[in-house]
Amino acid sequence: MTHFSLPAARSIAVAPPQTPYGVWGLRGAAFTYLIAFIAVPIVVVFVQGLYSGLDEFVASLVRPDVVSAIGLSVWTAVLMTVINTVMGTLTAYVLVVYRFPGKKMFNTLIDIPFAVPTLVIGVMLVVAYGPQTVIGAFFKDTFDLRIIFDTPGIVLALLFVGYPFVIRTVQPVLIQLDANQQESAHTIGASPWTTFFRIIFPVIRPAIITGALLSFARSLGEFGSVVIISGNIPMRTQTATVYIYTQIEEGNFQAASGASVVLLLVSFMVTIGVDLFLRRQRHA
Amino acid sequence: MKQFKDIGQVFVVIATIVLLSLRAVSAQDAPAPVTMTLVAYAVPREAYGEIIPLFQAYWLEETGQTVRFLESYQASGTQSRAVAGGFEADVVALALEPDVTRLVSAGLVSEDWNANEYDGMVSDSVALLAVRAGNPLGITDWGDLAAAGVEVITPNPATSGGARWNILAAYGAARRGFVEGFDGTDEGGIGFLGALISNVEVLDRDARESFLTFERGIGDVAIAYENEYFAGIKAGGEYDAIYPRSTILIENPVAVVDTYVDLHGTREVAEAFVAFLYTQDAQRVFASNGFRPVNPVVAADYGLDVEVPADLPDETVTVEINPDIIFPAIEDLFTIEEFGGWGEAQPAYFGEDGTIIALITAIKGAS
Amino acid sequence: MRELSPRSLPAFILIGFVVLYAGMLMVIPFLTILYGTFAKGLEPIIATFQDASVQHALLVSLLLSVIAVAVNALFGLITAWVLVRHRFTGRKFLDALVDIPFVFATPIAGYAVLVMFGRGGWFSPTLFPIVFAYPAILLVKIFVALPFVTREIQPVLEALPPDYEEAAYTLGASRWTTFRRIVLPEIRTALLYGIVLTFARVIGEFGAVSVVAGAIEGYTETATTFIFRALKDRDNTGGYSVSVLLCILSVVILIVMNHLRHRALDQR
Repeated sequence: MTHFSLPAARSIAVAPPQTPYGVWGLRGAAFTYLIAFIAVPIVVVFVQGLYSGLDEFVASLVRPDVVSAIGLSVWTAVLMTVINTVMGTLTAYVLVVYRFPGKKMFNTLIDIPFAVPTLVIGVMLVVAYGPQTVIGAFFKDTFDLRIIFDTPGIVLALLFVGYPFVIRTVQPVLIQLDANQQESAHTIGASPWTTFFRIIFPVIRPAIITGALLSFARSLGEFGSVVIISGNIPMRTQTATVYIYTQIEEGNFQAASGASVVLLLVSFMVTIGVDLFLRRQRHA
Repeated sequence: MKQFKDIGQVFVVIATIVLLSLRAVSAQDAPAPVTMTLVAYAVPREAYGEIIPLFQAYWLEETGQTVRFLESYQASGTQSRAVAGGFEADVVALALEPDVTRLVSAGLVSEDWNANEYDGMVSDSVALLAVRAGNPLGITDWGDLAAAGVEVITPNPATSGGARWNILAAYGAARRGFVEGFDGTDEGGIGFLGALISNVEVLDRDARESFLTFERGIGDVAIAYENEYFAGIKAGGEYDAIYPRSTILIENPVAVVDTYVDLHGTREVAEAFVAFLYTQDAQRVFASNGFRPVNPVVAADYGLDVEVPADLPDETVTVEINPDIIFPAIEDLFTIEEFGGWGEAQPAYFGEDGTIIALITAIKGAS
Repeated sequence: MRELSPRSLPAFILIGFVVLYAGMLMVIPFLTILYGTFAKGLEPIIATFQDASVQHALLVSLLLSVIAVAVNALFGLITAWVLVRHRFTGRKFLDALVDIPFVFATPIAGYAVLVMFGRGGWFSPTLFPIVFAYPAILLVKIFVALPFVTREIQPVLEALPPDYEEAAYTLGASRWTTFRRIVLPEIRTALLYGIVLTFARVIGEFGAVSVVAGAIEGYTETATTFIFRALKDRDNTGGYSVSVLLCILSVVILIVMNHLRHRALDQR
């Protein structure tokens, strides 16, 4: 998944032949497309939230179940991001540096979470690790830990969904890393650890951060897998997205809008953060 | 050859005229087919799957008209909200009265929707306690659910209208003095609810999901609808049912959506369909799917203690009685009237500042 | 970077650890659901796919997804072009908009459509039914996968030196011919990759569709809402079968994606 940061516009030196509606036709189409499909829905959600007045809106934001749901979404996303960043970096490293049997197939499988419907991801995880399975029962009996229908299940689902992000941002950078540097480090006797930390890591760090932020933002908005796997206890295992969904289903549009606005704001801040970070990288 | 060509042309013209006239003549007798949209809650899907063909056959015979059904089965609250939001249902079959009242407030259903002898309720059920096969914890009644260490499963009344039956069953039984260890008063009832909710492990979105969670091995005892229990047993579930001494009668409404039937021109069929749901055949289908029938004749057939009015017209019955379904008598069966009807109960307990909702937030939020 | 053969124990452990993680996370769940599907034999699976409403759900999912992909491909391409090649006020704002569906919780999209086109909504009454009918499903499908094509094409377009296009214009080629003969071949792989990502995203959409479609069997029920309903109805075989079908479809998509990714890497 590539993430693009908008560069300064560069017009073509030679003016293309004018058509009566050329420039504005294209721009109009792009504008209409984006405004109609993105700006309008966002405005609708915000306005609907403010429909009963600002006081009502703020009140709907500070309800304990909303705060709890947003909090749950955030900390599960953070935990997932930490685990996924470590595992993703290691996986990218292994894929680029080593040769091993089945590597090509493994590389293909990395993209599974991009291809499989999120609902199906949830179903698969419940079927594989639910309380009536070998592994699920093991965790329940030994650690008194319920995976599915509790918060570990949420983190598990988010790990599945976010799996490719860090890997796919780090991989290309690693591949293009100067092989000479790697070799010279090896020649002067640097251990693989030193090579990694002093030479490789600084180069891939921006890609790691990008991937991490992307997977974090993605997790905040994840619904399909979480709704299957979480058990939906309000104040305990109900994430913001599931909370919003249940409020919509029950017709509590005020609450749905309020929580949507908060979630959107948090997600926006993260994506803007990614954009700014990338932009700084480009100009560095 | 020209003569043949002419004769051929004439023949074709005459044949076409004859055939068209025949078509017109026969078309005059049969009315155009009609499409009816049934929006129902999820649980009675199989029941309606059997009732609809019966109705289609009946209607075809009565009027010569073919009825095509579009069906949707999702959670009751979801459907109610959807119809209020533009889902053009002709008939709604929901889990509890407030989901229909919402449509009355929205101006879609007329206020006299339930002005029949059944008060608009087409099927019943009761709240019972489902336990693991063999009842390892020895649960006998509501009181056992307040004991320490018992994991209770029940759906979330904040998000699910249908879930409110379960909570009210527990509350009502306690209030009426049928729960050991708690006074037969309001305080006693709330006290019992508090103890019960502390033991609740998972609050699922709706009754079906709640029961599925129980089936998947979570919890020791589930507060469930009787018909959910029967549906689970039929699908191979292995658990026992404990009938409490006191529980609530769950009543499921059906209504014609006036605005949309007039818009679609389906009023006649819709009203006939709703009326059909009270016939013995349809009620027998409900019963064989685990719903307690409201029709007194069918109720009596299934051993329920009801008065059968003497002046009911005879009906030819084609559906068999299901020998696997037995509806035990309940010692103290109360209805929503115990709480002053849904009109009072809904806002008082489940509204913005509803006492039961606040109780759940207090207990579940604190732990 | 040069590939090494793993020689030391730490290397083996690292590789093993990484593969084990992926296996537990993704492979085992897939195998388990595969097993669950075939647990009761072939008959219930065949029954599921012979059911008219299942077939219709699959067809609805497929057709509406194709249309959504076509819309997103066309407009995504135009948007990428406009954002890279044109200079105008509001360009950065427009660009920021593109990322939004990527982090937008999907039920909210369905909710927005309801508020706009539902009964008593901002734009209702409408000429033809939108909510709880096909148009609403199409709208949300377009929304959720909107960024993919644009974001895949933008970097490639940006990296394209304008020399060739300038040369073409000087020689008198029209904008369309220039685009078709010069630009398109360069961005073709990125465009295809974006289309594949879009298709995968769109066919698996559940949250928004669930809010806005009504799940009318044989009408607005899609493959994903069918799975949800089947599992709730205890029709595990049915739910798993369609899940596995979507998974197989995903694997095909995966292979195509991988192939395209290699082509893109080779092109650099």
